[in-house]
Amino acid sequence: MAGEISGTSAIRFWGRRSAFALILLRYYVLLVPTIGLYRFWLTTARRRFYWGHTDIGGDTLEYTGGAGQLLVGFLMALVVFVPVYGLFFYLSTQSASVAIIGYGAAAVLLWFLFGYARYRARDFRLSRTLWRGIRFDQAGSAWVYALRRFLWSILTLVTLGLAYPFMAADLWTYRYANSWYGDRKFGFTGSWKHLALPFYLAWAAMAAIVVWAIVIAEQTGLLENPLEGDPAGYFNFLLPLLAGFTVVTFYRAAEISRMFSAVRLGDATLTLRFSGLRLFWQYVLFAIALVAAYIVLALGGFVVLTILASEAFAGYGVDFDLLLRAMQSSTITLLAIIFGYLLLFGAFTYVHELFLGYGFWHLLANSASIAGLDTLLDVRARAEDKALAGEGLADALNVGGY
Amino acid sequence: MIPARYHDGLSSRVHDVALSYERTEGDGALLVHPAGSSDVLVRWPAQNLVQIAARRGQLRLGATDAPDGARVIVETETDIARIRATLPLLRQRQRQESARQFRLAMIGTLSLASIILAYILFVPLLASRVVHLIPPGWEEGIGATVAEQVEASLGGAAGLPLCDPDPQSLANRAIARFAAEALAETTSPFTPDIRVVRSDIPNAFAIPGGRIYFHSALLNAARTQDEFAGVLAHEIGHIAYRHGMEQLVSTAGTGALIGLILGDMTGISVAAGLGATIIDARFSREAEREADRFAALVSQRLDYQPAGLAALIARVSQDDAFGRALALLNTHPLTDDRRVALEALSRERPTGLEPPFTPAEWEAIRTMCQAQATKVKRP
Repeated sequence: MAGEISGTSAIRFWGRRSAFALILLRYYVLLVPTIGLYRFWLTTARRRFYWGHTDIGGDTLEYTGGAGQLLVGFLMALVVFVPVYGLFFYLSTQSASVAIIGYGAAAVLLWFLFGYARYRARDFRLSRTLWRGIRFDQAGSAWVYALRRFLWSILTLVTLGLAYPFMAADLWTYRYANSWYGDRKFGFTGSWKHLALPFYLAWAAMAAIVVWAIVIAEQTGLLENPLEGDPAGYFNFLLPLLAGFTVVTFYRAAEISRMFSAVRLGDATLTLRFSGLRLFWQYVLFAIALVAAYIVLALGGFVVLTILASEAFAGYGVDFDLLLRAMQSSTITLLAIIFGYLLLFGAFTYVHELFLGYGFWHLLANSASIAGLDTLLDVRARAEDKALAGEGLADALNVGGY
Repeated sequence: MIPARYHDGLSSRVHDVALSYERTEGDGALLVHPAGSSDVLVRWPAQNLVQIAARRGQLRLGATDAPDGARVIVETETDIARIRATLPLLRQRQRQESARQFRLAMIGTLSLASIILAYILFVPLLASRVVHLIPPGWEEGIGATVAEQVEASLGGAAGLPLCDPDPQSLANRAIARFAAEALAETTSPFTPDIRVVRSDIPNAFAIPGGRIYFHSALLNAARTQDEFAGVLAHEIGHIAYRHGMEQLVSTAGTGALIGLILGDMTGISVAAGLGATIIDARFSREAEREADRFAALVSQRLDYQPAGLAALIARVSQDDAFGRALALLNTHPLTDDRRVALEALSRERPTGLEPPFTPAEWEAIRTMCQAQATKVKRP
């Protein structure tokens, strides 16, 4: 039963989409009676699925976090957010100019906190990941990281994105220079040069696409009067939009490959060959699944509407007046609307997790391999890091991620 | 002997091991042997064993007194079944853990549900208390901002021009006197500022700080002074109860609550907006009833039929299909029960009261948006 511990070892992901779909479905259904509180259990189950089906060198990753920790973390984040919310309310009652300045300042503050939240969330995930009985961990300061990310993002904005490779290299370096596996430190050997070629090519392509879109807007008269120009102009935008999306997707694949391939753990090196085509295909699958899910929901909604407001559908066609009256009069209809909305919202996140979330992890794990895995046989455990209670702020700020 | 892998939780070395079960008096223990040897690497008493969540086809065991990361991992279905049969305790532990998680989720859900319930029951009450703590000066400032936005969105670049800009005209003096009399028996800190403005939309509304907009389209649709006085008294009721401010406070509270439920405190999600609108519509319906009662209360002192209010709203909304389409989320729905309540209030009025306006005053009010159409064109 011993796993192969050889020079180079692939990372394997065994999870099946159908099994994942069933697990997710169960947790999504339970979100309803728990008024959404079950999302902490959902997150835990999702991570257990991903971690528990990913093998490195024959040993499975283990996610040791619990839902209770996430719940406590969220409650703690609320303590931070209630005053912020009060501030928002106060601003909304002020005169327009004060409100704009206030909202602007609040948005900047949130953007800064976003970096903090992401770093803390990564810390939470790493410190709850076990491989061969040894825990990962992340040190460093979330505030320092947030500040770096904040300043870099301003520079990137000012330079119209041209500074991005420098920002990415700096942040990846900070993250990995502070990541640990037991007493073994991670490292990052990448630099902006790794990203320069694909990034500036993609940047030039995007610039060309933007010019293309402007030309279309000019020709169809949408530039002078966006609402009254030729409506066909909007269809002409589809092509540049699709082109832009393709460029971004392929660039992302290149960035992921190059950056992850620069990650080191002691003498072990990670290599990743992330296929842009396959990533693109995941988006196509996602779009198809989403359309299918919405068609099913629309049919279901129509059936419910006919039952609730049957008189409006009597005879030929739909009596819009009767339908509206039925909608105004009953609380059941109001509940149906709320429920319908939650279904739409839920269906989106469900399909998103099942196709993009799963697809991304699947691609990432199965395109990675590690050289020098046998140098990791004498890593010792470090003392337990018990300071973290959930990734509260990340949850409150709705920071994505696994 | 069952083949397994063992991580000691101290170093990353992987041990190929064999498992056996030691049956002693009372409680047994799990013995971990190095593969092909009968030495004992580690001994885990059965009662310390913990089953760790793992994928199907894999059994992960830890022990409470072992290092955190120490694991015994078995990966064959038949071996897993054998271990489960030998250690019924594992299933029992798993059930205990599920029960613990269930309790946690239950307690969380119940507390969340009680917060929501308390909110729905008490926020109208709470909002009206909080509103009394807000200094009138602050509310007037907010009112000025709201007025700016409302005039820009309803009237466009021209804003909402006054029908009769002369505050000393017969009509404006009569209206101001009516408003002062209506508010006479309240503790309202505001001086009502009633603006009859030129607009094709039949509407009347109060904003925080004491200002009321009465649109010319609604005034022109009024047939009697009962109708005009009824609607005006209703809007003055909103001022007296500070409903506009109350609404702001409760909207903020609802936004925070929805954020709490959906876990998105930034409130950017659409769900927050929609949910808030639906919950707040309930509060505003209560406010409408309260303002109706105020209009009826004033009609105990001045001679007009508060039911005229219902007649006027019904008339202007009759052919307005668009208005009906929005009525679900509308803040001014003229429901049947509201109309019935108003008619009941109209019947219980004392006799021998003074009418709110003299015939000459009512004539001046009725025509104030027709006669001086040229006057407002001034820059």
